[in-house]
Amino acid sequence: MSKNEKDKNEQPLKVVGKPFRKVDARAKCTGQTKFADDIALPRMLYCKILRSPEPHALIKTIDVSRALKLPGVHAIITGRDLPIPYGILPVSQDEHAICIDKVRFIGDPVAAVAAVDEDTAFDAMNLIEVEYEKLQTVTSIEEGLMVDEPRIHDYGERGNIHKLVSLEFGDMDEGFAEADLIREDILFYEGNTHLPMEQHAALAYFDTDNKLTLWSSTQTPHYVHRALTKTLEIPAAHIRVIATPNGGGFGGKSDPFNHEIIVSKLSMITGRPVKATLTREEVFYCHRGRHPVLMKVRTGVKRDGAITAMDFQSFLDGGAYGSYGVASTFYTGALQTVTYEVPRYKFRGARVFTNKPPCGPKRGHGTPQPRYALEVHLDKIAEELKLDPAEIRLNHLVKPFSVTANYLRIGSMGLGRCIEKVVEGSDWKDKFSGWDKENRKLPFGKGVGLACSSYICGAGLPIYWNNMPHSGVQLRLDRQGGVCVQCGSIDIGQGSDSVLAYIVAEVLGIDPFDIRVLTADTDLTPVDLGSYSSRVTLMTGNAALQAAERARELLTIAVAEKLSVPAENLSFAERRVFDVENPEVGLSFAEAVVLAESKFGTIGTVGSYTPPRSPGHFKGAGVGPSPAYSYSAAVAEVDVDPMTGIVTVERVWIAHDIGRSINPMLVMGQVEGSVYMGLGEALMEEMAYRANRNVVHKFPSLLEYKSPTTLEMCDVKTYLIEDADPNGPFGAKEVGQGPLLPVPPTVANAVYDAVGVRIDEVPITPEKVLYALREKSKGREGRFGPKSIPEVDWPQPLKVLTPEEGGDGREMPHVAVHS
Amino acid sequence: MRAYLPDYELRVPKDLEEALAFLANEPGMWKPFAGGTDLMVLLEAGKLEHTKFFSVWNLAELRGIEVTDESVTLGALTTYTEVRRNSILQEEFPMLCVAARETGGIAIQNRGTIGGNIVNASPAADSPPALLAYDAELELLSSKGARKIPYKDFHTGYKQMKLRDDELLTGIRLPRTTKSLRHYYRKVGTRKAQAISKVCFAGVAKIEDESVADVRIALGSVAPIVLRCEKTEAVLRGKSVDERTISAARAALINEIAPIDDIRSTAKYRLRVAANLLEDFLKTVRDGELN
Ligand SMILES: Cc1cc2nc3c(=O)[nH]c(=O)nc-3n(C[C@H](O)[C@H](O)[C@H](O)COP(=O)(O)OP(=O)(O)OC[C@H]3O[C@@H](n4cnc5c(N)ncnc54)[C@H](O)[C@@H]3O)c2cc1C
Repeated sequence: MSKNEKDKNEQPLKVVGKPFRKVDARAKCTGQTKFADDIALPRMLYCKILRSPEPHALIKTIDVSRALKLPGVHAIITGRDLPIPYGILPVSQDEHAICIDKVRFIGDPVAAVAAVDEDTAFDAMNLIEVEYEKLQTVTSIEEGLMVDEPRIHDYGERGNIHKLVSLEFGDMDEGFAEADLIREDILFYEGNTHLPMEQHAALAYFDTDNKLTLWSSTQTPHYVHRALTKTLEIPAAHIRVIATPNGGGFGGKSDPFNHEIIVSKLSMITGRPVKATLTREEVFYCHRGRHPVLMKVRTGVKRDGAITAMDFQSFLDGGAYGSYGVASTFYTGALQTVTYEVPRYKFRGARVFTNKPPCGPKRGHGTPQPRYALEVHLDKIAEELKLDPAEIRLNHLVKPFSVTANYLRIGSMGLGRCIEKVVEGSDWKDKFSGWDKENRKLPFGKGVGLACSSYICGAGLPIYWNNMPHSGVQLRLDRQGGVCVQCGSIDIGQGSDSVLAYIVAEVLGIDPFDIRVLTADTDLTPVDLGSYSSRVTLMTGNAALQAAERARELLTIAVAEKLSVPAENLSFAERRVFDVENPEVGLSFAEAVVLAESKFGTIGTVGSYTPPRSPGHFKGAGVGPSPAYSYSAAVAEVDVDPMTGIVTVERVWIAHDIGRSINPMLVMGQVEGSVYMGLGEALMEEMAYRANRNVVHKFPSLLEYKSPTTLEMCDVKTYLIEDADPNGPFGAKEVGQGPLLPVPPTVANAVYDAVGVRIDEVPITPEKVLYALREKSKGREGRFGPKSIPEVDWPQPLKVLTPEEGGDGREMPHVAVHS
Repeated sequence: MRAYLPDYELRVPKDLEEALAFLANEPGMWKPFAGGTDLMVLLEAGKLEHTKFFSVWNLAELRGIEVTDESVTLGALTTYTEVRRNSILQEEFPMLCVAARETGGIAIQNRGTIGGNIVNASPAADSPPALLAYDAELELLSSKGARKIPYKDFHTGYKQMKLRDDELLTGIRLPRTTKSLRHYYRKVGTRKAQAISKVCFAGVAKIEDESVADVRIALGSVAPIVLRCEKTEAVLRGKSVDERTISAARAALINEIAPIDDIRSTAKYRLRVAANLLEDFLKTVRDGELN
């Protein structure tokens, strides 16, 4: 990094920080981009997957004989054909591509057909006869905790409890004893789904040389590669996974999916290419979206709002499979400490299995729920202490370059500047009525709210244990001057292909549009772990930077020799390599490559990136650490109609600490997109179930799963705070997920300012607002939300002394613990 | 799950006569297919009961907006877009234009028809409350002849209506008696477009000497059918709009409607919002703000 700091001082950046268009913008805008479903091969068969109509049942018999006789049907497979389980996390290998003897939710696959066309496959699917023996269903967090039998899975903590976590950092008793005020709140965040415009699709071809190629709309080609090797029992070297550009992912395409394995198997059986494109209804069943989370937070504070201790509990409804759930559980407790100082912290989390589509990672993975709880809770604390919501936050920020009580190493920290920006930009002081609602600044029905957040820039650890880099980049320089960047990362619309081009162009002094970007092909590109956890700009960016610097080094040596100019005098810009002191003395970039190739042979370099080690060493320390943390602050202005309870968000001011924008236009796009998605979660989106004891999806369609339209989208004023982080390429941090987090609590807090009711449950629907308004008008508490949490027999907490207390990041030896 | 397309038949009759013959020859077997915006949703969900359809889209007799001194008659195939753009409707039947503007999105408005909206008989449909408040009359036609029926007598129960198996809806007649009325229309849904109503309110009133000389109120999504609220109207007629009248009217309305919990909202919410909208309607017409 020191090298680049030097460049920065030497001359202005030419590409980084400039609003270039995306390298794939024209293809995307003109409809030329080939998504997975656009790919067709000769003799291709179509696959349809028969899915269970039962939420929880044993499969007694499956009869495919009638379906097999249908003309045009080439193959039908059932669970017996794919007996090996898989799952994204090594600790949750609990899925089968096709259920073998038991189905766990409505939508679980029970058979798959390959036929000449989609209609025939569909028809054949309807001819398959399945006999089920129904089992009792488990439908809620409460039931998951209480109902031990029947078990949805035969692993986990016990009964239907998948995972229990209990961590304690520092002396909690002491912490609460120091407090002037202790407040408790219980909140609920409903589950919702990603809603990518592109439905998942996959095409497999097992060719005559016994090599398998899979094209798929996946965010994690490397993990899909591993899952295929495992479930199909063929060597990894014989499998090539190509991730096609994703038409949106948001975390919904981060697991290896059954349809990817199924089309591969069907292609192996038939020797023909096989494609599956999921219907929108099936996408709702794939889900892996936001976990519904019930939360209780108890915090001790001093009179000035300084936190003395925090005790956080979360209960996650995981749905039918593990997916990323163990990580999600930890994430509901990890990032509470990175915004405001929390000197002592306790976290307990429980995830249960239920007979619903599996939950997993959605934009913000496990952190929007606790962030909502925390920021609303803090608003209530501010009210009790009669402090301004902006002040209480500004006065107790986590210090940059510090280590939190739960051993997260903070780097650059621009939250203070974020808060100042939105407070100023929104005229907060002239709008927020304060806690004395008699003297309103805005009329009744109008209000403002404020909330903040933080997010990781890539997970510190990979999903499966290994010591290899998280991201690799390979650079090929062509003697004609062409540069090809190869990386396993996949562009899901966020612009990761462009970021690779911008960074390499900056270092080599060429135009980003001269660069060929070749990504997400396991045969051609070095491994990158995937487009999740906001890791790509930081990690592939650093890998690209290293590869580019190594290439520049080779060119520099060759050019310095040729021109007899000292190497340190050479600069790369405008497609030239020249002497900074004597700019006419130089060569074109292409000539420089020819010199280097003549001297060294074919020019290719590699770069890789491995995150720094985390200071935490206790069990569970793997979730939360990151090379850097982004920060956001937001103010929302709302209008609440007391006649209908409808909340209209009129404007959002949001500031995001991006470290440094590689491309400010792309950063703004991510911020606005996050605000949009956050508003959907805040106001209307929900995975709701009904009938059959609440396991039938209420509306697996775009018609009834309501997400905001352009008419609901408000104006967004975005401020970018550039506080370069030493771990980011050119100082860059993440933006893909973080800015979503403050939105739901900002809206909830603004609703309170507008009409004086607390909606402690997301989404904030008109029904809930009207209920709370009526309660208030009857002299009862103006609130809608959960009132209690279930009893859980928590395990003994794993105790760790905080850095402040002299801890070393390891758990304390187990001694008899007082009750 | 989507139905299997080859199971369905869709025919295109060459004229009205042939269309009526489909209905007459095999009673109950054939159904008209207008814009298809309700039928295709059922098809996608695998819930389309009938399998034989004939398209009415090309039947000129069912199209167009006809204006006489006494009335405006909409052909059954009149689309929402056509309603929105019609200047007489904008002037004299503004609630219908607002309903059209708030129905679905642009694509639905180009394709969905008022006739389809009526015969689909959803209690959550958005034009029927306006049509009821405007005292619409329906024109029905079969190979045996034509007849007329007041729209308020048409729907008899959930998805039940006085339409014989051999009949087509051809037109919707609106009497031009709205000039002295004040109009109030409000659709409450989850979002501003592409949302089926949770509650939909249409009301017209004539205020003379500060009291209610005439009033017609209809609500959607609060009963098995879109409901003309005649009992509530009776409470209001002849009264001045004061707090006592408002609370009597609220009470009457709450008794008259029978909303339920469903996927879109709750009975409680609908009751409360219906009463709130009634109050807002009364205050708005009293205070003279026109829709
Ligand atoms: C995305 C979406 C959004 C929507 N939003 C709304 C909304 O906001 N508000 C709303 O009210 N509706 C809404 N709808 C429903 C639908 O668009 C309307 O009900 C529309 O008016 C139906 O008209 P159509 O011509 O498409 O009917 P079709 O689907 O063609 O027919 C509907 C029914 O009417 C019968 N029919 C049609 N024409 C005649 C005729 N002339 N004589 C006898 N029977 C006939 C058909 O046999 C069928 O049973 C929405 C639908 C979709 C898909």
